[in-house]
Amino acid sequence: MGDPLLLSRFTAGDEDAVRTIYRAYGRLVFAVAYKVLGDRGLAEEATQQAFLQAWRAAASFEPSKELGPWLATIARRAAIDVHRREARHAHSSLEDADPADAGLVSLPPSVDRIYDAWQVRQALSELSPDEADLVRLQHMEGLTHTQIAERLNIPVGTVKSRSFRAHRRLAGLLGHLRGDDPAESAPRQPPIGTGGQR
Amino acid sequence: MTDEERISYLAGDHAGAPGPLDPADAVELDELRALLADPAMWEVPGQHLEDTVAAAVTSAASRETGDERSGPATSARRAQGGEHARRARHWSRRSVVAWAAGAAAAAAIAIGIGVTTSTGPHATTFSAALSGTSLAPGATGQATLTQTTAGWRVTLHVSGLPRLDDGRFYQAWLKNAAGVLVPVGTFNQSGDITLWSGVPPTQFPTITVTRQQANGNPASSGQRVLIGNAHDVS
Repeated sequence: MGDPLLLSRFTAGDEDAVRTIYRAYGRLVFAVAYKVLGDRGLAEEATQQAFLQAWRAAASFEPSKELGPWLATIARRAAIDVHRREARHAHSSLEDADPADAGLVSLPPSVDRIYDAWQVRQALSELSPDEADLVRLQHMEGLTHTQIAERLNIPVGTVKSRSFRAHRRLAGLLGHLRGDDPAESAPRQPPIGTGGQR
Repeated sequence: MTDEERISYLAGDHAGAPGPLDPADAVELDELRALLADPAMWEVPGQHLEDTVAAAVTSAASRETGDERSGPATSARRAQGGEHARRARHWSRRSVVAWAAGAAAAAAIAIGIGVTTSTGPHATTFSAALSGTSLAPGATGQATLTQTTAGWRVTLHVSGLPRLDDGRFYQAWLKNAAGVLVPVGTFNQSGDITLWSGVPPTQFPTITVTRQQANGNPASSGQRVLIGNAHDVS
């Protein structure tokens, strides 16, 4: 993370340091928790737990290491704890459970899947608002280029060219271009103390 | 497959990706598309969460000040931190989203480590994230319950609840496993709200907020707008 002083202040429970680290990583931690839990309220609870656990473990964190992956691991474990607690308390018997309840049939995402999600979330945060909006409309809302053009009131050709540019930038950030060495093209860690993420 | 064709495929421009996809490319790009379609990639936490996190950590740190930092609890935390650091080192050797495709084997779930709580002379604190129900899907909140000699102070930070007037109001409750409800106070709209409880969250861990009408019936209307479970963050 490159800032031993900030980590030292975080370890001491300094509020400004906690807020600085939250602004840099809070949304990413939340994204990991949401990926595991699929529920906004529970994800916020797990995010809070993750930062508490990070604070408790901060004294043993090696400042030369990247803070992001460490926080993501903590976030995943905090979310799994919340998931297990909810699974224990949600149903008094199996008969009460909704057959579609993910807690009955699925495992939390693996560490690797969580890390993939972390990287994608970070890359999305580096897109411009217009680029991110277009990618969201296309993938999360499942709109076609024509539908996006109608939604944004712009020509289909403009949507296509913007979409291509946005995805080229995204692929570059994620190392999905043949010319990139994935080990060299990982998204940058969030800047600390520069205003946080979108 | 060229970079341009890969990007065209990712961007949904099928005309730009003329040939059939290499299976490895297809698996990898489809995994990325699945992630981009995942709401977890787009959802953002409530603005109150920064305050909640800052309060939780600074509060825990202030309670810890009087504790013996080199005691068993700290040692356990350091061991836990070492495990996190080991995993972080593992990640540092891994590429972003793996370029080489391949079906990932289902990974075993890591055993979660519970939070080690301090046992200092300071007040016990519980916290709960509150989620909006189908009656108020845009509502969210955070509750902090602090033990005092007078009872449990319940501090709510609520957003997304419209103002209720003219005999209508919100009422907060604590509930135990048997479903017994204890009222802890009423309010009119979102914001920072302080309420009080005479029963502990250890026995009444579920927090709910209902819409109520001043009609002489003190029972819950059943119209829940927020719900969450409190846990010890001392």
